[in-house]
Order: sequence, then structure tokens, then C-alpha cells
Amino acid sequence: MSPPEEPAYTRPIPDPDTIAAGPFWSGAAEGRLMLPRCRQCSRAHFYPRTICPHCHSHELEWEEASGEGTVHTFAVQHRGLGGWNDETPFVTAFIDLREGVRMMTVLRGVDAGDPASIAIGAPVRVEFERAAEGVFVPFWRVVEPPPPAASSPGEGGC
Amino acid sequence: MLMPHPLRRAAALVGAGESDEIGFIEGKSSLQLHAEAVRNAVRDAGVRWEEIDGIFATGGSGRFPAAALAEYLGIRPRYMDSTQMGGSSFLFFVHHALAAIATGEIEVAVISHGECGFSGPRRGGRGTGGAHEFDPWDPGELYERLYGAWGAPSFYAHAMNRYMHRFGATKEDFARIAVVTREWATLNPRAVMHSKETHPYGGPIDVETVVGSRVIAWPLSLLDCCLVTDHGAAVVLTTPERARSLRHPPVWVEGAGEALSHMNMSQMEDFTATSARDSSARAYRMAGMGPGEMEMAMIYDSFTYTAAVTAEMLGLTPRGEGASLWAGDDARPGGRFPVNTNGGGLAFSHSGMYGMMLLVEAQRQLARSAEGLPGRQVAARSAVVNGTGGSLSTTATLVLTAD
Repeated sequence: MSPPEEPAYTRPIPDPDTIAAGPFWSGAAEGRLMLPRCRQCSRAHFYPRTICPHCHSHELEWEEASGEGTVHTFAVQHRGLGGWNDETPFVTAFIDLREGVRMMTVLRGVDAGDPASIAIGAPVRVEFERAAEGVFVPFWRVVEPPPPAASSPGEGGC
Repeated sequence: MLMPHPLRRAAALVGAGESDEIGFIEGKSSLQLHAEAVRNAVRDAGVRWEEIDGIFATGGSGRFPAAALAEYLGIRPRYMDSTQMGGSSFLFFVHHALAAIATGEIEVAVISHGECGFSGPRRGGRGTGGAHEFDPWDPGELYERLYGAWGAPSFYAHAMNRYMHRFGATKEDFARIAVVTREWATLNPRAVMHSKETHPYGGPIDVETVVGSRVIAWPLSLLDCCLVTDHGAAVVLTTPERARSLRHPPVWVEGAGEALSHMNMSQMEDFTATSARDSSARAYRMAGMGPGEMEMAMIYDSFTYTAAVTAEMLGLTPRGEGASLWAGDDARPGGRFPVNTNGGGLAFSHSGMYGMMLLVEAQRQLARSAEGLPGRQVAARSAVVNGTGGSLSTTATLVLTAD
């Protein structure tokens, strides 16, 4: 017996940039979140590129990330691009990864109808959804209630 | 003693113009809006067409906007610039033109904008915010728009939420900005939201109406967001000598500065700040003036939030209290520190790239040629003007004065 058909992925489907970001997309297909890290300055970056944005070195390597982070901020979208428009309202967010980089996502495990119930600082975990043959998209899901008073790097003094 | 900056007062704004109609205009291309605005600005300044030796242009006019505009107008300038930094581009142009005039490369610069933000997409155009070529490997496509973000509100809402979380600001605080800005629109008959006659939702509004308006991208509601219109606008900039011979009192460019913090929002380090902190520091330094010497402000208000955070970055309010600039009577008509006197992108007009409208209004106010109902012309002799482009990405700041 064949497995049940997965529902079609109607949202924008990424066209993976296999030179700059090949391991990011091939890792996603295996359920692993891969990040580039610089051999010169040891800092990770995201989105993947062919030069380190911190020290401009070309000596980059890939590592598997923890897949853990926190919600930096979020918004509730009442219109969406492509197939997302059929899923409104939905919650988008920027995630602070434990590795010190930030990613956008559609946030899962939250109630889009009640923004007050969604917490900045909430811990999240990455998961992947199949969008097309060999193409998987990372999503982040809130995993537990947030700790009190979460802060974030980058908002130093004023 | 500190030497004055070589670009300080190297040029003056001497005229401004808009397309013959603004708002929702079927049947005019973005180049036509450009051309009407340039014709009206050239006429307003009193310069001759053959004097124009620099063209600075962008908008919804193809891949080579300055070339397209020069061709359309039938002029062949010797200095051309199609810089694309989003809605702030026109204030970047002033900085660039200032340097070109100061070094003698050109004498008369025309800076122009034309954009069918409303009607363009309805006839199959690519939309607003500057035409771009689509590359599926653009990081914005691959890592952000992938998640359904469809335009400026969907991104800016994230920054507003983070700001509210960090500083405790409320939707009511931001709504007050829309209310005050709408008051200015009621004094400007050309403002789209001037009255119920000009727009079904026009005329005065209150905080409850703004907060209660339809949610676009929470926490942004409809009336926190700018209009989407068709608009052309242009200004003329020239040397101090030529400026003094023309009909309007010169509006001096005392200072100009540009900066950026990121392009894609995932690269924005501090969601509660913008690079206007840097661009304004550069502009104030060139001018030898500070925020305390400014008598009015034109602040890019794509959203109420944009205006609030920018007020802080320009040094007009303490950190975390940007919306307080609008809280009392100061920023209102008749107030001590007028802000967004045309009615802003929120209520005057905003075609996707609003920066030129800031510039046109600042020139008119300081040259005492702001037309409209009593109370619209203010008495300020100095203005700080700040444009914001992209997703709170790029900024350019000007310090302008009148003698």
C-alpha cells in the first residue's frame, strides 16, 4: 500500500542557490539545519553567502546548528504572498538562533487570532516541511512557555 | 577653529513642482508624471531648460530612470544618477548633487520622481518601491518572501512589535501620529485625505478610529499605514550665485548625510532603531547645527511607527519616546515644532517612494510658498528632513535653512 498523498505545497517554493547555499538546502532535505561559519573569525552567519560578512574572509565551512532559538519579534499577517494568502491570518517571526544569527519564519504552535498570547522571547525549535521534490523549507515552532524577561543581543544602549 | 564642511551651503533648493494631478490617476505613465513635475519645478524655479546639466531620477520608470527621463524630456545632461535606495533615494540625490555642484561639475540639478504606485499594478506593472529585476536567488526571495511577506507593512510590523515590547509604547501612542498628520492634511487641499470630498475616509480622525481600523499586519492597522498613490514630484538645486538670482528665496542645504543598516530584515541588528542616527549625525555635523536648532521636521511616515522611531534617531525626542513628539500640541498646525506639514505619506500622498514629497514640502515651507488653507504655511527657518527606504534599511538626512 502506498503512503497517503501529502497535501500540495501551494506557497512560494524556493529555488535553492546550490553554489552559495547548497549544504543549507541539502541539509534541510535531511532534517538538519546547516549554517555557514567562518574559519578566520569563527562567527556564523545567515543567510548563506560566499564571503564572511563579519571579517570578509572566503574561508567558510558548514556546521549543523542546534535548531534552537527564541522569538525576537513577530507579526500577524492578514495578507500573504502566493498560497499564504489562503492561510491568513498567519504569524511571521524573526528567530534569534542559539548560534547568534537571525532567521525569518512562519511561526508554528501559536494562535494568530490572539497576538497577546504570543510571547517575544519564547523558545522555538526548527522543523522542515517538504515543498517540492528534494526541496524542504525550515519552519520554527514554539516549544514551551517563555522564560521571564528575555533580552536579545544587538539592542545595546541607545 | 573647526573649518566648515566644504559641502555646507554649496547649493540651494530654488524650486519645486508636482505632477498636474496626484492621487489615483488612471491613464498617465510614471514618465509622464516625472515630466509634468519637472516642467512645473523648472517653471517654479525660473531656470531655463538649457541650464539643466544634471539629472537625478528614479521611480517607476524602468531600469535606467535618469536616462529614460532625459530622453523623454529631450535633454542631454552631462551628469546622471539613477541611485536606487528605496523611498529615501531622493534625499541621497541631494547629497550627490551637492557634491557635483560644489566641485563645479554641474550648475543646475533636477531631481525627479514619478511613480504609478496605485494604477501601475492595475495595468500589469511590477508594483511600487522602485522597479527591480527578479532573481530567484536574491536572499530576500529565498529566505524572507518565502514566508509570505508581501510588502512593506508585513516587514515593518515586526519592528513595531519589538519596539512596543522593549519600550512599552502602545498602539494609541502611534495612532496619535496619524491623527496629528491628518490635521495637516485638512489644511492642504491637494492632500488625498484632505476631506470627505477628496476621499471617503478623508477629513479629521481620532485615536479610536485609527486603533479600530482594519488590521493589515498586526500591530499595524490600516490607518497606521501610508497611502498608495500615483505621484510625480521634482526639485531644482543650483549654485549659491544662481540661486540668489532666482525668484524664490534660496533654501540652503546646510547638511546632508546618508547611511544604511541592512537590506534584508534578517540582517537588521536592532529592530528598534534605524540608521537615521548615523545619517542625521553626518548631516548635523556638516551643518554645524544640532536637533535643538531645528524649527520643523519632515519625517518619512510610511507608517506611524517609522515616524516615531525616526524622531528619536534625529535627536528630537529621548530614546523610546519617539511618539511623544506628536503627543502634545507642538507638532500640530499652529504648534511650536511643525511636523509633516503636507499631511505626510499617511494622508497627503505616497506612491511607494515618498522621499521626494518630503523635499518638495520642505522647500515650499522654507521658501514661504506653501499654498493651502490658513495655517498651512509655517514660520520655521530651519528644517530637518529624513527619508527611510527599504525595510527600515536606508536613510538620508538633510538640514535645510532659509535666510
